[in-house]
Amino acid sequence: MFSFLASATQPNALETIKDTFGLHGAFFAAQVINFFLVIFVLKKFAFGPIQAILEQRRTRIVEGEEKLKRIEKQLADSEATTAAAIAKANEDALRLVAEAREGAAAFSEQKSQEAIAQAQQILAKAEAAGNADRERISTELKREFGRLIAATTTQVTGKVLTLEDQQRINEEALSKVGN
Amino acid sequence: MRFALLTLSLWLASLIGTFAAGAGHALPLDAQRLHDWLPVSNSMVMVWMAVGVIVLFCRMATGKMTLVPAGLQNFAEWAVESLYSFLENLMGPHLTKRTFWFFGTIFFFILVTNYLALIPGVGTVGWYLKDSAGHAAGFLPILRGGNADINMTAAMGFTFALLWIYWAVTEIGFGGLAKHIFAPKGSFNGIMQAMMVPIFLFVGVLEIISIAIRPVALSFRLFGNIYGGEQTLEKLMALVPEWLAFLPALPFYFMELLVGFVQALVFTLLCAIFLKLICDHGDEHH
Repeated sequence: MFSFLASATQPNALETIKDTFGLHGAFFAAQVINFFLVIFVLKKFAFGPIQAILEQRRTRIVEGEEKLKRIEKQLADSEATTAAAIAKANEDALRLVAEAREGAAAFSEQKSQEAIAQAQQILAKAEAAGNADRERISTELKREFGRLIAATTTQVTGKVLTLEDQQRINEEALSKVGN
Repeated sequence: MRFALLTLSLWLASLIGTFAAGAGHALPLDAQRLHDWLPVSNSMVMVWMAVGVIVLFCRMATGKMTLVPAGLQNFAEWAVESLYSFLENLMGPHLTKRTFWFFGTIFFFILVTNYLALIPGVGTVGWYLKDSAGHAAGFLPILRGGNADINMTAAMGFTFALLWIYWAVTEIGFGGLAKHIFAPKGSFNGIMQAMMVPIFLFVGVLEIISIAIRPVALSFRLFGNIYGGEQTLEKLMALVPEWLAFLPALPFYFMELLVGFVQALVFTLLCAIFLKLICDHGDEHH
């Protein structure tokens, strides 16, 4: 060891080191070539494909994350839209119900009025018909009463009554009976 | 428990024998040439094996990649992503994205090479050499740990040095690099500023020497640690009877597993820190 150190300080130290450790130009060059061969092999068959797939996976993860965020945002938007639509539908439904109620009330009122009018009309007609019937019956009764009076008078008196007599007796009898 | 105690006793006994007997066999410092005219060393064979293992693993792990990972793909992704995150925390996203191919290669290559060197047979399978007279002239192992060869560690260290300068220049420019080396650190006014100029010029020269030495230090640190580990295993195995050779080395195999990982991490970490430090001024502008 000490002899090696001593020799290393000599002018031909490099030669001594080369000889001691077997550093040869041809071997050195061959090992450099070997080393570059390893670099080529590893770069082509290991680092290249592995880094490519790692990058691909990283990209996919980033894309997935972005997609997830987009989906979450879309979901939130969709929920907000749905909630707004439901609120609007609710509001519309309430408005329609109110309108329907108002419409129903108005319709009911209208129908009631119509029914009342019809009923009044029917009552008026019935009253008019009743009055007409009473008038007709009264006229018939008067006529029958007159005829009965005239017949009775004819049978009692044995006198054939003229039209004027019949009319006079009827009027007298009717004025006593009243209307 | 009894087995563990027995193993420990045997191991201690073998160690005593080892140290009492003294070391005989030693791993040579240099990688040996396997062929007379072909520049192929036994460590180079290990490096090719490491390349083969890496290629095989990569093909198996990334052959049919799916977005939902499973099995080897899962493991490979975990390993790459962990290292990438580690470097990203150290150097920032920009530098890491730009240089990961190099730092990833450095780490996984050193790790695989270190672990392959622990496979039984590395350094022990080979043939005995004979000289022209037919006498024994040493042992030539077919395999030697890739990083137990200074040529390999120097190849990585000096490749890093070149890339380091290239990345520094492209990140902060020549001016930025010169400023990083020579500019005064801190704020000085008046006469102090004038006095500091020669000091920081000298500091700059020292910084240049430091930068020049770093790849050498990187190379020798890795080489020393791996060679030292292998030498330890060799010594321990060689100094007991052959049938017991596995035993003294056994605990050190676990330590070497740790050393293999730590050294891969240290080399990668130091390179990353050197790059970060030199590009730091550039990063402030990003």
